[in-house]
Amino acid sequence: MEYIGESTWIGEVGRFLVILAFASALFSMITMLFSKNNASTIRAGKWGFGVHAVSIFAVVGLLFFMLLGHYFEYDYVWKHSSLDLEKRFVFSAFWEGQEGSFLLWMFWHSVLGLILLFTAKQWTAPVIGFLSLIQLVLTSMILGVYIGELKIGISPFVLIRELPENAMLPWTRLPDYLQQIEAFSDGTGLNPLLQNYWMTIHPPTLFLGFASVAVPFLFVMAGLLRKDHKSWINMALPWTFFSISILGTGILMGGAWAYEALSFGGFWAWDPVENASLVPWLILVGAGHLMLIERNRGGAAHSMYIFVILAFFFILYSTFLTRSGVLGDSSVHSFVDLGLNGQLLILLFTFVAIPLFFYIRAYKTIPTSDGNEEFWSREFWMFVGSLLLFIAGFQIIFSTSIPVIDKLIGPEGFVPILSKHMAPPVDVIAHYNAWQVPFAIAIGFLMAVGQFLSYRKSRLKWTWVPLARSLALALLISLAFLLPYELYKNPLYVLLMLSGWYVVIANIDYWISIAKGKFAFSGSSIAHVGFGLLIVGSLVSNGAKKYISKSPIFLSENFPASENLLVELNDTVKMADFAVTFSGVEQIAHRRYYFMDYLRLNADGGYDFDFRLEPHLQINDQMGLVAEPSTKHYLHKDIFTHLTYAADMDKRGDDEGYGEEMEFLMAKGDTFIVNRHFLILDSINAEPVYNDDLSLQRLTIEAVFRLMSTTGEVYDVRPTYSIENDDPVHQEVIVEEANVKIRFEEINLEQNKLLIKTKQKVDNDDEFVVLKAIIFPWINILWAGCILMAVGGFISVYQRVKRNAALKS
Amino acid sequence: MKKTHIIALILIFTSIGVVIATLTDSSTYIDFQSAQLNPGKTFTVIGELDKEEQIHYDARRNLLTFFATDKNGTQSKVFYGDVKPTDFERSEDITMKGFATDSGFVATEILLKCPSKYNEQNTLAEVD
Repeated sequence: MEYIGESTWIGEVGRFLVILAFASALFSMITMLFSKNNASTIRAGKWGFGVHAVSIFAVVGLLFFMLLGHYFEYDYVWKHSSLDLEKRFVFSAFWEGQEGSFLLWMFWHSVLGLILLFTAKQWTAPVIGFLSLIQLVLTSMILGVYIGELKIGISPFVLIRELPENAMLPWTRLPDYLQQIEAFSDGTGLNPLLQNYWMTIHPPTLFLGFASVAVPFLFVMAGLLRKDHKSWINMALPWTFFSISILGTGILMGGAWAYEALSFGGFWAWDPVENASLVPWLILVGAGHLMLIERNRGGAAHSMYIFVILAFFFILYSTFLTRSGVLGDSSVHSFVDLGLNGQLLILLFTFVAIPLFFYIRAYKTIPTSDGNEEFWSREFWMFVGSLLLFIAGFQIIFSTSIPVIDKLIGPEGFVPILSKHMAPPVDVIAHYNAWQVPFAIAIGFLMAVGQFLSYRKSRLKWTWVPLARSLALALLISLAFLLPYELYKNPLYVLLMLSGWYVVIANIDYWISIAKGKFAFSGSSIAHVGFGLLIVGSLVSNGAKKYISKSPIFLSENFPASENLLVELNDTVKMADFAVTFSGVEQIAHRRYYFMDYLRLNADGGYDFDFRLEPHLQINDQMGLVAEPSTKHYLHKDIFTHLTYAADMDKRGDDEGYGEEMEFLMAKGDTFIVNRHFLILDSINAEPVYNDDLSLQRLTIEAVFRLMSTTGEVYDVRPTYSIENDDPVHQEVIVEEANVKIRFEEINLEQNKLLIKTKQKVDNDDEFVVLKAIIFPWINILWAGCILMAVGGFISVYQRVKRNAALKS
Repeated sequence: MKKTHIIALILIFTSIGVVIATLTDSSTYIDFQSAQLNPGKTFTVIGELDKEEQIHYDARRNLLTFFATDKNGTQSKVFYGDVKPTDFERSEDITMKGFATDSGFVATEILLKCPSKYNEQNTLAEVD
């Protein structure tokens, strides 16, 4: 049978390319890992990887082509895009689904692989060999092949009619199903939360970060394979710092997205998904510093290997957590189990077993510490810092894994040890902060002091002067923040503030007095200053954030006052130093803007217009309303305003102003109450109309209701349901006196009852919004810290690449 | 004993501390009945929204009341003193953190699982 209007060639080409990518990765892996340094075998492996990379690029291109061309017969296109999707959000649609995000990840691996192909020199064969192994496993995730009952991967090139759940449905046998069925004319659209500019840049950056963690891992594997534990470090170092910078930037962009587009009012909530990407970063930072120790001083080879392997492992573990659906009950990012759990677990175990095998194999050849650790040396402080980062990461991942632990040893787990289901801590944020704040304090002090120590042994006398000088200055600046915001009440905040500023000042001091302000040595200083500012910025903006939208209403004595405030249209309410007027509503396409005018008290006691914020709602028929906050940015503070409720949208009726739909299954004689009226089904009349050949042309069924008010008025209501040419037609009835609309939806054949839907007139006079407004002081310090950290990281990368080049010549 | 060994020991002990603290800090998913046995203590209950019963949000008082049924089938009235979450009516599972009182369960935090939002369970049933 020929289907009309399907573009099956895209799927055919796509599947071919995926299989080609799989086969070429396999080829490249085998030739590279078993090349035995044979030049022609390596050349073949390089070509193999080239073919793989090009096929991945082509698959990516093809998926974009499908999304842009609106080929809704394809499941991926139908689920993730729609005709009215703005072009710039096609990127977000691309990686909304698992298949697309796996592709994005593989895309970056391919790009990085191509760079390594030309730069990894004598390490090319093992590095590309192990990369091909990773790519092989990842490509299997989008294969979409069945071996018997076993499903291997999910292809993004599946037609909707080919989905297993649709296999036996009658419409899949209609050649013109695309034309006949309305639903195929448009996709279901992209999740409105993702229709935000951050969502076009955050995922690719984050996935480049994920992908780049593989590079130090590849060098580690190559080193273990060849039992050469030294010569790859110089080549891997710039990659490690590149990865730290880009992954860090990606994570923080996610925070920026949460701050700009989500409603919780903040940039970090210790959500499992955030944690899962933070942990590999923490461990990678540790790994990078251990690599520095090993290169400059030696003695850290074992820990360096373990850290790099763990950093990569946690990237995969994070993939497992977020895609297996295991976090379902504990994360705001609800993820769906696509049935790939088994495969994800195999992925995870593969990359435990293989590194472990090579580590054990090379164990005896790995150099150990000479036992002469000097306390006042840079490497010792860096080592302790790395271990602290590891413990911090361990704490986060252990708590985040509670749902996994529950799956393993919970009442329904593999080994049911616990009698009750384990749930994450009740106050998640307090739980994490209780651990992470002390860790951050300690790491900050290590960073401030460590920089002044030199490798091997420091001349202590000389070091005390700048350290004390910086500490004194840091204390002064800290007070300037602690006092006005009353943060001194919490001793941990005091220490964290001091430690943060100490990192900033000490590192600036180091750069000026010891590195003499030279650009060549600025990378680490700038990155460390950035880290210090990040700590300080998050402490001030979060610790001193102020809800200015406090409602005066208490629910009960010990129930907290709400942080939401109700404002009527054209009314003005007082919020801290401001007065806020809700001055109007404007709808542009599917975005509805609410104007909030902030007024400020002037000298005469009156109010002057200060600025306007326009928080808005995205109206999405598929997914309901999504509110997006609006924020006024000042240098020293942000005023964040978010709509938590809009009366005009919630009680939105249909075109005639009816809403609050209810459904009843009714048999003859049944009575239900609708809008304070009794609705009684008295009788059901059928009225068939026949064609000339006595076939049924139309069947009209009339439901005869009595609608009785409590005061005795009775209305005769007769909605009908008719079928003509298989299309149902509904005749609804409105009883204006009772403010009720009645619709005979269909006949439920199983129960032999009628499905009746009723609506009542909605009172739409209410025009008020409930909003949440928060002042975040000095949040710009946080963002500045993020930017400096990334910039510092990239300068280090640049300097190391330059030094490596100089070493060679 | 080398300094690294001392550090390794500290590392191990801190890790054990982390594990124990997390286990004691973690809560358990329980049902309404068990929550009722310890009124006032905070628990996490996973339930399902009762769509048959009335869902009432009073924006002016900022109070949402609804009925939820836990996994054992016990129904309870739930009070939530905050704004009604978007798409509340469409939600399937609701994770509620809160405590039991005589008049119902008072949720301080709720988390929804909406089938429509991320779930890719297709609505193809509507197609045919």
